[in-house]
Amino acid sequence: MSTFKDLLRVSLGGLLARKVRTVLLLLGPMIGVAAIIAAVGLTDSAKGDLKRKVTELGTNLVLVSAQSSVGRQNPTLPEDAADRASKVVTVEKVAAITQLSNIVVTPYERAKSQFETVPIPVVAVDSQLPNVLEVPLVSGRWINAFDESATTRAAVIGIGLAREFNYLPGEMRTIELNGIRYGVVGILDKVELEPAFDNAVFVAFQAAEQDFVDNDILPNKVYIRCKNGTETETAIALKTAVNLGGPQEVQTEIKAAALELAAQSDRQLQLIVVSMGLLAVIVGGLGIANVMSISVIQRSAEIGIRRALGHSRAIIGAQFMLESLVVGFLGGVMGVLLGIGAIFTGVKISGWVFVLASWLPPAGIVLAMLISVLAGVYPSARAARLEPLETLRLD
Amino acid sequence: MTAEVVMELANVSRLYGQGEVTVYAMRNVSLRILSGEFVSIVGPSGSGKSTMLGLLGCLDVPTSGTITVCGKEITALGDAERTAVRGRTIGFVFQQFHLIPHLDAAGNVETALLYRGFKPAERRDRALAALQQVGLLPRADHRPVQLSGGEQQRVALARALVTEPRILLGDEPTGALDTKNAAMVMELFANLRSPERAVILVTHDPGVAAAADRKISMLDGEIVADEHRLIVL
Repeated sequence: MSTFKDLLRVSLGGLLARKVRTVLLLLGPMIGVAAIIAAVGLTDSAKGDLKRKVTELGTNLVLVSAQSSVGRQNPTLPEDAADRASKVVTVEKVAAITQLSNIVVTPYERAKSQFETVPIPVVAVDSQLPNVLEVPLVSGRWINAFDESATTRAAVIGIGLAREFNYLPGEMRTIELNGIRYGVVGILDKVELEPAFDNAVFVAFQAAEQDFVDNDILPNKVYIRCKNGTETETAIALKTAVNLGGPQEVQTEIKAAALELAAQSDRQLQLIVVSMGLLAVIVGGLGIANVMSISVIQRSAEIGIRRALGHSRAIIGAQFMLESLVVGFLGGVMGVLLGIGAIFTGVKISGWVFVLASWLPPAGIVLAMLISVLAGVYPSARAARLEPLETLRLD
Repeated sequence: MTAEVVMELANVSRLYGQGEVTVYAMRNVSLRILSGEFVSIVGPSGSGKSTMLGLLGCLDVPTSGTITVCGKEITALGDAERTAVRGRTIGFVFQQFHLIPHLDAAGNVETALLYRGFKPAERRDRALAALQQVGLLPRADHRPVQLSGGEQQRVALARALVTEPRILLGDEPTGALDTKNAAMVMELFANLRSPERAVILVTHDPGVAAAADRKISMLDGEIVADEHRLIVL
């Protein structure tokens, strides 16, 4: 142990004695490691907000929708699709909807001509939808059981539509659907996983059946929250559970999957920059090997006298190896700091979210040390092999 | 106290090169050096002095014959063990001082004590004591470039002494010094004799050789004369 302390002291002394050279040696591994850390960190951080969103929204939202392969217009699900879906044991919450077509939405009668051209989706819903989407209302309330049983003309609008119609905070007005006046009872907050809802008008199934459709409205989509981690299995089970061998074709989709895909960093770009960083570390290692070899020749007298004083070959080799290792370690640490600094700067400029895998900094330091050890092998062996007598006499 | 054999060469030969270009640098030399002796080894260039220095200093091994240092046959040892014996028993002073430039005087002296299990404070104390012995304590924190040649050689001497070696081996220790400094270093060498320690100087300088009690003359790889100066008590 005291031998190692002595070695460390000697090696650090050797490095400190040639500060400029040591700093130049540090640059190779430092720049390489910094490039790797920055490359991975920046590409990850660029998608950091998406990643955070995925975590926030949860990945367990599954959408069951009706599908038609024979070209039938407005395919639907069975009437009791929601009940059927809730029979799947992993399903926790269920809400059914139907998108209605050909309904003209205007804020008030006289604006009809202005808004006719922009179709606003009208969605028939049950009382569970915000609960399943896990989206709060900005103001007011959702369609409730009373609206359903009493067939009230109550509507909830998305936050985008509220902005378009210039709703003031908390303001409630009426809205006209095909000229029928509905009371707006609430405004739904932004739905990240279903952006179309931001501009939609929501009414109860019962009201829609009364005012816009002659027969019973069948749901065409069912939103489901399942137990975390069971998305894939639930999605598969739901197809059968909802269809039950009926004529309707059923399609399932895990809503966060697409977002998760989008949140994936650009692996190819990352790979290219990481390779370049790796190259820089290796070139830095060659630099260390080169300079250390020259250093061994320059310091042959020092090596000779140390050998004469009783320092063994192993000690001399270890001394140079340790110098190399310290260079690698310091270069790695400085590279990590520089890399993190680069990520911080990039994040600050671009408004991203700082993301850095926790294993990267230690891995960067280990990489730099590994390369420096490899670089130190030849010079150290050379130093250890030096014959003291040859370097000490100038005959 | 009876003198002890600290260094014994028995039928030692050293060849350089192989086959037809074989050169005898030393031929069948036998030699005993006792503790308390002050020996000079003299001879012109090419006489085998350098070879003798390497062998006496355990820096080299003979082609044939045996070398025994303080009872240990070093010709039978591997490099690592030979190095250990060298570090324990022999102190070196070279013509070119060979101080490590980035270390101060005390640091250079301490180098001889590294890897021996000393605590840093103890190492420093011993180094300062050795510098005191050569009269350079006030210069302990000076780097080699801040010291004169004579001072550098005295630091080298302190470095050789700090391990308390049985054998002090000098290689032209005054060769790079002016007369005044040379005289001072020689005086130090003479004073470093002790009943436990042998001082051996390899030199071609007759003045240096004359200071010793025993003069071994070499020529063409052989000992041609071994003269003891009579000590008048």
